[in-house]
Amino acid sequence: MINAAHHDHDDLRLLRESVRTLLERAGGVARARKIRDEDGGWDAPVMTELAKAGVFGAAVPEEAGGLGMGLAAAGIIAEEVGRVIAPEPVVASVGLAIGLLRRLCPEHALLTEALAGTTVLATAWQERDAKGFSDTLSSRFENGALTGTKSWVAGVAAASGILVVAEAGGGPALALVEPGGKGVSIDKRRQSDGSILAELHLSGAPTELLAEGPVVAKALEAAVSDTTVLTAAELVGVSAKALEITLDYIKTREQFDKPIGSFQVIQHRAVDMHVMQEVAEASVRDALGLMDATEAPRLRARQASRAKARACTTARKITREAIQLHGAVGYTDEFDIGLYLNRALVLSAWLGDDVYHRRLWLNARNAEEAAE
Amino acid sequence: MIDYNAMSDADFRRQVRQFFETEYPEELRNLSHRPKFAEIEHWHRKLHAKGWVAPAWPAEFGGMGLNAAKLLFFYEEQQRWGVVRGRDMGVQMVGPLIIKFGTDAQKAYWLPRILSCEDIWCQGYSEPGAGSDLANLRTNAVIEGNEFVINGQKIWTTMAHDSTHIFMLVRTDPKAPKKQQGISFILVPMDQPGVEVRTITTLAGETEFCEVFFDDARTPCENLVGELNKGWTMAKSLLSFERVFIGAPNLAQNALGQLETYARGAGRFDDPVFCDRFAEVALDVEDHAALYARFADQLKRSEPLGADVSMLKIWVTETFQKITELMIEAAGPDGGTLGPLQVGNVGLDVLAVFYKARPTTIYGGSNEIQRNILSKAVLGLPG
Ligand SMILES: Cc1cc2nc3c(=O)[nH]c(=O)nc-3n(C[C@H](O)[C@H](O)[C@H](O)COP(=O)(O)OP(=O)(O)OC[C@H]3O[C@@H](n4cnc5c(N)ncnc54)[C@H](O)[C@@H]3O)c2cc1C
Repeated sequence: MINAAHHDHDDLRLLRESVRTLLERAGGVARARKIRDEDGGWDAPVMTELAKAGVFGAAVPEEAGGLGMGLAAAGIIAEEVGRVIAPEPVVASVGLAIGLLRRLCPEHALLTEALAGTTVLATAWQERDAKGFSDTLSSRFENGALTGTKSWVAGVAAASGILVVAEAGGGPALALVEPGGKGVSIDKRRQSDGSILAELHLSGAPTELLAEGPVVAKALEAAVSDTTVLTAAELVGVSAKALEITLDYIKTREQFDKPIGSFQVIQHRAVDMHVMQEVAEASVRDALGLMDATEAPRLRARQASRAKARACTTARKITREAIQLHGAVGYTDEFDIGLYLNRALVLSAWLGDDVYHRRLWLNARNAEEAAE
Repeated sequence: MIDYNAMSDADFRRQVRQFFETEYPEELRNLSHRPKFAEIEHWHRKLHAKGWVAPAWPAEFGGMGLNAAKLLFFYEEQQRWGVVRGRDMGVQMVGPLIIKFGTDAQKAYWLPRILSCEDIWCQGYSEPGAGSDLANLRTNAVIEGNEFVINGQKIWTTMAHDSTHIFMLVRTDPKAPKKQQGISFILVPMDQPGVEVRTITTLAGETEFCEVFFDDARTPCENLVGELNKGWTMAKSLLSFERVFIGAPNLAQNALGQLETYARGAGRFDDPVFCDRFAEVALDVEDHAALYARFADQLKRSEPLGADVSMLKIWVTETFQKITELMIEAAGPDGGTLGPLQVGNVGLDVLAVFYKARPTTIYGGSNEIQRNILSKAVLGLPG
């Protein structure tokens, strides 16, 4: 088994350090709070700085203008984004927008701009139906225009373009619309962490067609797997930091003339959180490495689901326990720990929670075993 | 003498695999109980003839002299093929102690007898009042002439009724200021009037462990290993390897395989609730393996392991228990039935697996004790 995490140990460590320093210098977790209170956008200058640090191209192959460091590198970036709850849509950009463009139209100027951080693109691919979300497309591309409704579009708040996946006569196509353009209306839905997931209503919106045919479905599958595993990595960052904050707190907070962390019941709960966190990190890094080592869609999807399931369960448990172990201050908005709970809620729900991914994982595993 | 460490990993693995596959008796594969020596004697002789009884011991003492990486491969192959954990307390515990702390005469006398199973060992640490708090032990040994005279009781002694010798921790200085001091490590023959063994029946209905009573039992002073009153630190120094071994994924992996076969036969995968719970434990096993691999890599790079290795034991034993609980649920109304449950052409003894999982969170340092260790040594939480 070739594990990129071990293979590129030093490079990855340097990458982690530079992203961490950059995000801390930009304001750390305080920035997440400030932006939340201001209206769910992000800092354009930080986006540019991240781009300069190579964040958007880390996982992109060199021939498409990236650094070719694989998903393992993008995973490390996502963990760091998670640790400070950076509001920039890093994972959505890297996984979806850039993931689609580099596979479908690597020559297009949009990719260059997205890698440079000068253009931020949101991606609208899912749709809602009566049951929940739909696995078929009802939005259409016809005569150079788009019609239909897309849901759960991340990173739309200050995006300069939206990539839309729509039906184009027998298969999906990828097209570009402008957020403020004709026939485009955006219904912003505020999330628990202050970020926005949008419903996008399209009625004859003029568009530029970027790609069509079976390649689009294939690229989308790969990009969704990437985004799923990277979201898992972001969640691992969220829970890691929430756990650190909690450990610091229980070492110092005193009751009954002792630090509360000296009570065995608290210690055992802290240990369980720690063990869960270690397992989640091992799982997600293993999945990233395995995904870097294969192009097979089912294998990659299976690993992505495994990672997301584990990261969701872990982040949910750790951030909730964190509130409990803080006592009443944990329930105040003023204390940072709540920001982590809120972020975990959003990232867990996005792209499917643990129950959903366990089901996908089991199906993929069964299908693989049947194929053997 | 063969230098196994000089072989390529792949060649070594192939050789080990081939030996188990061709030589190991099918009727002993994946035994669900701890066998008596007579049951596995034939296999032991083969292993002994091959020189493979003690993979971790240095070659000069009759071991295979494997380095950590090769050792892990060896154990992996053993587990994969369902090879029994034989009567190995001698090899796993007392042998390494003698090698590390014993005199030349002790090494020359005891080690070959361990390898040949001429002497069969059991471990006498626990007492009725000294379990997790092992240093509280009271069984005492007083020197009279050139003999120790031993009085007291040991308990939970695995396979004592099928052993010829017991290695034990005894109190040799009752006046020592701290209870960890004044403890010695001695070797005692069991075939003598002062030693009485009574078997204890387990929940599973087996007799795997015993009580051992000492009433003026005797052993020569030359059977003291290491210094007098210094037994505690010696006994505790027993290899971080043991702790990786106890946190290895095999027990949980085997149980998961059994659960899957059984549940398929019983049509349980049509139930979405069952599917979710199955996926949950299956992922618990898979993700544990990822964590285990991290520690195994550390060993293979010859880096020492820290206290954090305790997390492997906690996770794998609790996962093992979850799997066996799901097996019982999958069995539905048959969940309380003793003996193999027949589904299609497989028979699975659901309760035997369930019982086997129970003590894993108790022995080898209970999981609560492991949590105490992690909380202090790894998280640095205050005392
Ligand atoms: C199948 C099996 C085989 C064994 N084989 C052997 C053998 O061959 N030789 C041998 O010497 N021993 C053997 N043992 C004994 C084993 O090592 C002890 O059972 C173990 O150390 C726990 O001690 P105890 O049973 O006295 O439980 P106790 O120490 O009484 O513990 C009871 C409960 O209290 C908890 N507890 C105790 N102290 C603390 C604490 N400080 N904080 C939180 N919780 C605590 C424990 O975790 C446990 O849940 C065996 C045990 C089993 C089950």
